[in-house]
Amino acid sequence: MVDALAGAAAREARYEAALRRRATGEALSHQRRVTRTVVSWQVAMLLLLLFAWWGASGRLLDRLFLSDPISVMAAFWRILADGSLWYHLRYTLVETLLGYVLGASTGLVGAVLTWLAPGGEPVLRPLVLLAYATPKIALAPLMILWFGIGVLPKVVLAATFVFFIVFLNTMAGLAAVNPGLVNVVRVMGASPIGIFRKVMVPSALPFIVAGLRITVPAALIGAIVAEFISSNRGVGYLINAASARYRTADVFAGIVGLLFVVLLMNAGVSVLERSWLRWAPQIRNPLG
Amino acid sequence: MTHVAPDGQTIAPAEAAGAATPVLEARGVYKVFVTRGRGGLRAMTALRRVDLQVRRGEFLTLIGPSGCGKSTVLNMFAGLTAPTDGTVLHEGVPIRGVNTRGGYVTQDDNLLPWRTTLGNVQIALELKGVRRDERHERAMAYLAAVGLRGFEHHYPHELSGGMRKRVSIVRTLVDTSVNVILMDEPFGPLDAQTRLVLQDELLRLWEGSGRTIVFVTHDLVEAIALSDRIAIFTGAPGTIKDVREVPIPRPRDVFHIHDAHGFAEIYDAIWAGLRAELTTEPMHDG
Ligand SMILES: Nc1ncnc2c1ncn2[C@@H]1O[C@H](COP(=O)(O)OP(=O)(O)O)[C@@H](O)[C@H]1O
Ligand SMILES: [Mg+2]
Repeated sequence: MVDALAGAAAREARYEAALRRRATGEALSHQRRVTRTVVSWQVAMLLLLLFAWWGASGRLLDRLFLSDPISVMAAFWRILADGSLWYHLRYTLVETLLGYVLGASTGLVGAVLTWLAPGGEPVLRPLVLLAYATPKIALAPLMILWFGIGVLPKVVLAATFVFFIVFLNTMAGLAAVNPGLVNVVRVMGASPIGIFRKVMVPSALPFIVAGLRITVPAALIGAIVAEFISSNRGVGYLINAASARYRTADVFAGIVGLLFVVLLMNAGVSVLERSWLRWAPQIRNPLG
Repeated sequence: MTHVAPDGQTIAPAEAAGAATPVLEARGVYKVFVTRGRGGLRAMTALRRVDLQVRRGEFLTLIGPSGCGKSTVLNMFAGLTAPTDGTVLHEGVPIRGVNTRGGYVTQDDNLLPWRTTLGNVQIALELKGVRRDERHERAMAYLAAVGLRGFEHHYPHELSGGMRKRVSIVRTLVDTSVNVILMDEPFGPLDAQTRLVLQDELLRLWEGSGRTIVFVTHDLVEAIALSDRIAIFTGAPGTIKDVREVPIPRPRDVFHIHDAHGFAEIYDAIWAGLRAELTTEPMHDG
């Protein structure tokens, strides 16, 4: 009798285990199907775009201004092979990275200090918003005046593109913290530092990470714009020089090079994001 | 009086400040909230001359219509809000600033969304510098006591409403350095069955612990099932119109509380007073 019951229970357990395996397998294959569909559409749209470009060039629009996908690929291959892309990219990368780190760190630290200072937020936030709203591209010629034509003005301009967004996002994150959570740990005896470390920072983290992510291309734009204004190296210079000589294919080849840089940096931020925001799987990134 | 909790810890006995000193006390407390309205600032009296003494080791429930100021009273006991007039005292000493000697189970569960169940239950112990292994052991013992074994690595959004409530209650109870617990409608949003189960769990964790509980609800049956005494509030602006003893002996069976001897009498007596408050419109003075 007891043996019969135990046997039935074991059978039931095996049956359920098989059911779980089947459900897991189905979920997995569903996920794969969705990914496959999405990627197919993306590839199709990209091919369509390239085809339209190829079709339009020389027929609807002058090849001089539009070039075509095949010439761009050839140009890209040429500047890759002769080392000139890498030579210029190196400078742009260093400027972007330094500008990004400078802007992000000052933005973060500035926001935290502003938030900690009594009355700092209401006084400073509107001023920073005002500065943020002024077109920073207009500053580029001034940067050249102040910091010369070397790496420094590019770094500073890239940093200003990053600083404001990181600052304002961090402020928004700190302001959005649920006061209920703060009160709960206060009653538990948390010190101001304890409140900051255990509630404020983790709670504001999604905002901070969003700020860090959307400023990656912004830093690159800052560096490139500064290179446009005055430079004798960097991808901005490469593009500028090519366009001055109507070498449209080279312009696009430079842009393709930049595209790879942004994709690479984005992937880096994604890795950080996944490890920091493991608790919030519901937050999906628009640049995902 | 000492008591052994689920984790084997002894709960700190009440300080020898004289057994007659109320653990918590409100003396002539008024609260006026000033809010920004369309026509400029607007003052609203939320509490009017509230006098209340919470006895050591009792389970006291505040009951009254919504908006009568029950949460405001708990916020004052927690030191998160100061009275506009009057005094709030803990062990006979006026409360100034946050009262870290009490535990507070707020109306929203307020779990930290980036922490797992285990991390949430440990936070008070962590803030008070309890060693890592001891912290873990005590948290696990309490989680086991409310049937949350197996959910310790789940994040709050992966738990049901009842589970989240359990976590928020256990997170407060696990800190044995506090012997006064404030609970604001902790079972409010739960379905009837889960509610009864949690009431039962709470009583089992509390009975004989020597801890004092101030509990807020708007459910009269819940108040009777749980409390030693019930303080009945008037509608806004709230004041205490009556305090009643619940003569039902412990341990209590919350699942059959209607059948308990004396239930009908106490229910009718309190309901008569409560109904009068529910039917009058809340008053506001500008
Ligand atoms: N921080 C606040 N600012 C302004 N008014 C408040 C605040 N907190 C509570 N009130 C008002 O005080 C009254 C009592 O609120 P509360 O204590 O939450 O009532 P209860 O918990 O009994 O439902 C309500 O009218 C509420 O709107
Ligand atoms: Mg309330």
